[in-house]
Amino acid sequence: MKKGYGRKEFIINILSLVLLVILWHVLITLARNDIFNAPFIRLKDVPTPLETMNAFAGSLFAQTYGPALTYGIVDHVQASLERVIQGGIIAFIIGVPTGIGVGYSKLISNILNPVIEIVRNMPPMAWIPLAIFIFVAGGSIFIVFIGMVFPIILNTVHGVRSTDVRLIDAAKTLGASEAQVVTKVVIPTAFPSIIAGLRIGLGVGWMAIVAAEMVIRSPVGLGYFIWNMGDLGRYAEMVAGMLVIGVVGYIMNITILLLQKRFIRWVD
Amino acid sequence: MGRLVLKNVSRRFNGVIAISDLNLELKDGEFMCLLGPSGCGKTTLLRLVAGLDAPTEGELFLDGKKIEGVNKECGFVFQEYVLFPWRTVKGNIEFGPEVRMVGKEEREKIAQHYIDLVGLRGFEDHYPHELSGGMKQRVGIARAYANDPKLLLMDEPFGALDAQTRNLMQTELLRIWETEHISALFVTHSVDEAVYLSDRVVVMSARPGTVKEIFRNDLPRPRVRTSQEANALRDAILRSLGAEIKRAQSK
Repeated sequence: MKKGYGRKEFIINILSLVLLVILWHVLITLARNDIFNAPFIRLKDVPTPLETMNAFAGSLFAQTYGPALTYGIVDHVQASLERVIQGGIIAFIIGVPTGIGVGYSKLISNILNPVIEIVRNMPPMAWIPLAIFIFVAGGSIFIVFIGMVFPIILNTVHGVRSTDVRLIDAAKTLGASEAQVVTKVVIPTAFPSIIAGLRIGLGVGWMAIVAAEMVIRSPVGLGYFIWNMGDLGRYAEMVAGMLVIGVVGYIMNITILLLQKRFIRWVD
Repeated sequence: MGRLVLKNVSRRFNGVIAISDLNLELKDGEFMCLLGPSGCGKTTLLRLVAGLDAPTEGELFLDGKKIEGVNKECGFVFQEYVLFPWRTVKGNIEFGPEVRMVGKEEREKIAQHYIDLVGLRGFEDHYPHELSGGMKQRVGIARAYANDPKLLLMDEPFGALDAQTRNLMQTELLRIWETEHISALFVTHSVDEAVYLSDRVVVMSARPGTVKEIFRNDLPRPRVRTSQEANALRDAILRSLGAEIKRAQSK
């Protein structure tokens, strides 16, 4: 595979996006003029890119209608992000030490593996009904936690297990204690995997939060926003919300990748 | 300091006898090379001395103290360098002092001293993947020395280097060893290397490994690789070693 991202790649990427938007516009316009219509799909009801953009601009900030306050997309993004970050921090604090323990100690691995193997196969969405009735508050944060903690644990385990035993020998002959072997050899070795786990976890967490907000019905949050707009028949706002989810997820991913590059300079 | 004594040392792995009843003494400040056919237990022997492995029978002593658990008085130099990839040159060399809780200032002084000694000034902040094989092994040697060990253990340290770099590194190692004089136990496959470096050459037998023959090497340093005396010694060692290699292959 060719490496590097240059002008050419950038132009192709932008063109592909532009093309997609044009295709979207043409398809909906054709459907509305009864020139073309796909069977089983009400294409007419789908907003065009322009309508979506207008809806996005119109609902970006909070508005007040008399005594009623409507949250803007900015507020919804902020609310969802806050939940993901809170859930993510808890998942990180619990997931990394658990992963190190499971990866490094056979005993801990034997104790925790059955639980991990079963619970990680229960999708975050399956936890929503339970979360609704056991959590007085913060149910959606818990759903994010469930979505994020397993990718973090599994990647940490993988990273810890990939530690070169010769590096451990080297550290020991240089005088390192068992604890120093863990902090100065095992954890640095696992660090890139831990970050990879965090990145994968964030992706899962971001999907989980949208689903959780739809069901848990917090009054603010992107999941709530698109569900509510759909209910109200405001499809342009709904689609705008969907796109925002995609773009924010993409930005989170890129941010972690950049941080990774910045902090992990020792791999070529 | 740095006198190593091995008394009736044996090591078995699941019924396979790697080392059998081995007796050996390394004098203080001596440079000893270990030669032997593949699988004769040379690396196992080094690991026993380093305390990374324990003998099934027998005892090992360094300066009269029995080696039990990891032996923190020796510096280990590995064939594949085994540097910490996330640490810079300086960070690698500082590792030993750091885990021994040496203060930051003192640590940096030590690191700088050995960086200069092995000729890596200007490369302090480079990561291992940015270095050539020869430079990596310079870091490996400096890292081992930075702990002020009584004994240097080297497991084919130049085995992965090309012939030119290898010759250069041998000369460099002797230069370093002559400035910071400590005992050295050096495993190699190269008779040339053994003749060039060592005070004594130990030829080990095919498995189960034990001491077959010891050659004294009193040639004055700096040695000429192609001198008649060096050739004669090389010839004698090759004959002794050749017989063992044959025995190892016929098994």
